Amino acid sequence: MKKYLDKTLEYVLIIFMALMVINITWQVLSRFLAQWEVIDAASSASEELARFFLVWIGLLGAAYATGKNMHLAIDLLPNSLSGQRKKNLNMIIHAIVFLFALVVLTLGGIFLTKLTFDLKQTSPVLFMPLGYLYMAVPISGLITAFYSLWNMFEAKNN
Amino acid sequence: MEVLILALSFVILLAIGVPIAYSIGISAILTILVSMPADIALSTVAQRMGTGLDSFPLLAIPFFILAGQLMNAGGIARRLISFAQTLIGWLPGALAHINILANMLFGAISGSAVAAASAIGGAMHQQMVDDGYDPEFNAAVNITSATTGMIIPPSNIMIVYSLSSGGVSIGALFVAGYIPGVLLGLALMLVAGVMYVRKKHKLNSVKTTRDLPARSSFIAHFATGFKAFLAALPSLFLLFIIIGGIISGVFTATEASAISVIYTLLLAFMYGEIKVSDLPEVLLNAVKTTSIVLILIATSMAMSWVLAFENIPQNVSAALLSISDNKVIILIIINLVLLVVGFFMDMTPAVLIFTPIFLPVVQELGVDPVHFGIIMVMNLCIGLCTPPVGSVLFVGAAVANVSISRIIRPILPLFVAMVIILMITTYLPELSLWLPGKLGMLK
Repeated sequence: MKKYLDKTLEYVLIIFMALMVINITWQVLSRFLAQWEVIDAASSASEELARFFLVWIGLLGAAYATGKNMHLAIDLLPNSLSGQRKKNLNMIIHAIVFLFALVVLTLGGIFLTKLTFDLKQTSPVLFMPLGYLYMAVPISGLITAFYSLWNMFEAKNN
Repeated sequence: MEVLILALSFVILLAIGVPIAYSIGISAILTILVSMPADIALSTVAQRMGTGLDSFPLLAIPFFILAGQLMNAGGIARRLISFAQTLIGWLPGALAHINILANMLFGAISGSAVAAASAIGGAMHQQMVDDGYDPEFNAAVNITSATTGMIIPPSNIMIVYSLSSGGVSIGALFVAGYIPGVLLGLALMLVAGVMYVRKKHKLNSVKTTRDLPARSSFIAHFATGFKAFLAALPSLFLLFIIIGGIISGVFTATEASAISVIYTLLLAFMYGEIKVSDLPEVLLNAVKTTSIVLILIATSMAMSWVLAFENIPQNVSAALLSISDNKVIILIIINLVLLVVGFFMDMTPAVLIFTPIFLPVVQELGVDPVHFGIIMVMNLCIGLCTPPVGSVLFVGAAVANVSISRIIRPILPLFVAMVIILMITTYLPELSLWLPGKLGMLK
């Protein structure tokens, strides 16, 4: 289960990153092309799209990094313990991350997404509903919650 | 009361080992819950995280990271090293100086100290050991000099600082880093040279360094030097495009970072060191590093909104100014606090958390925000090389295959150099501000 989620996230993240690079490259190019009057105006849609990908990469990538236990932490205390106490502390840490992901990211994110859809807020250039941008928060929250729960059981069984 | 909740929850969460990004987010939500209904507090924190990332300047961070990954895989480190060798290969302790100079160049291009420490340190380690250098000494030199790339532009941490300071010009910060960064590199070279010479006198059995080109004929030396220069030229040209483009206003830092990705990609293909099938892995590695930084930025954005909402920067400012309103003393206090913070915390979270707190204080005393950015980054560079938490220290020790406790002795004199340069940078604002001022980049 975790493996499939890992793989899916990897594909999505790689594609988003590649699209982001292409977007901004096109933006720079289009600005010069516009200057030389090859095309009418520099692309402003590409900037907006790139920022959209940035938010999604940041939040989805953070969820992915939770699964890989890659986040920066001060691990002096967990590393100084051993045996059962280390196990307990690691479980507590994962539980705290789980709670944050579930309550703040998922629940808060759902409130937020719903609100922006209700208010029909859209982006300035593409008129894309901003809800699609903010949706990254609760989705990242759900995946982070899943991974931290997984980590918790792994810590318990280790 | 709110300050207490914030500080206490944050310190406890950090101390037990909760990831820093989540610790920041949790403290933010706990603090704001005191003065706000739960549903509004939750959706506001979520919103600040989303909008915090929705920023054009931030796009430069993943791109510079990606460019750094491509350089790592693309054989650029090796070419910079041979270029550095022809420049300063004649100095006593040449390999140490080459390591430092190559780190300055590589760090400047990639903007990452960890990448420099692993790419340059990894490539040079064996040669240094073969030539009779102590592995501990090599590691200490490599670790401390890798941080110069954070100060010499382009540098991702300056973008983070610009963001958390509320929009100090990235271009000005970049240019301001040149003189202090180069000065730091020179100071490290000086100390490393002295350490090398003293050690050599003491042991008297250390093998001499590799046959120096200076001994061969001048023309042959010139020819090899020219060849190394040509090989390094495309990499060095990138620096010229990026910084030249930003200074002249031809493009923004974000656009420069995208150009840097395309350029290094072409270069790596041209050198034949990378295949299309390697790209997904390079992209994924860049995503991992990026998202770890981005989630820190996201929760820090929520935190800085909470700080502002609770008037915490003003309170800290008032408290500090009640101790003294002398610029020299306040800067000493802030430097000391940041040094201690640096022992325990990586640079990005430290900049994100402490910029909104300290910047208003020093601005009130007339310190330019560009200058303060350089002070802060240079200060936290020291923390990157110190235990218990120092990402560059860990990487540098790993590539040199020595234990951290054995690096401490040779690294101490180099720390002294870093602290002295930090003091000079702190109290001579012209060092940072002269160049951007000359170029008309300061407001």
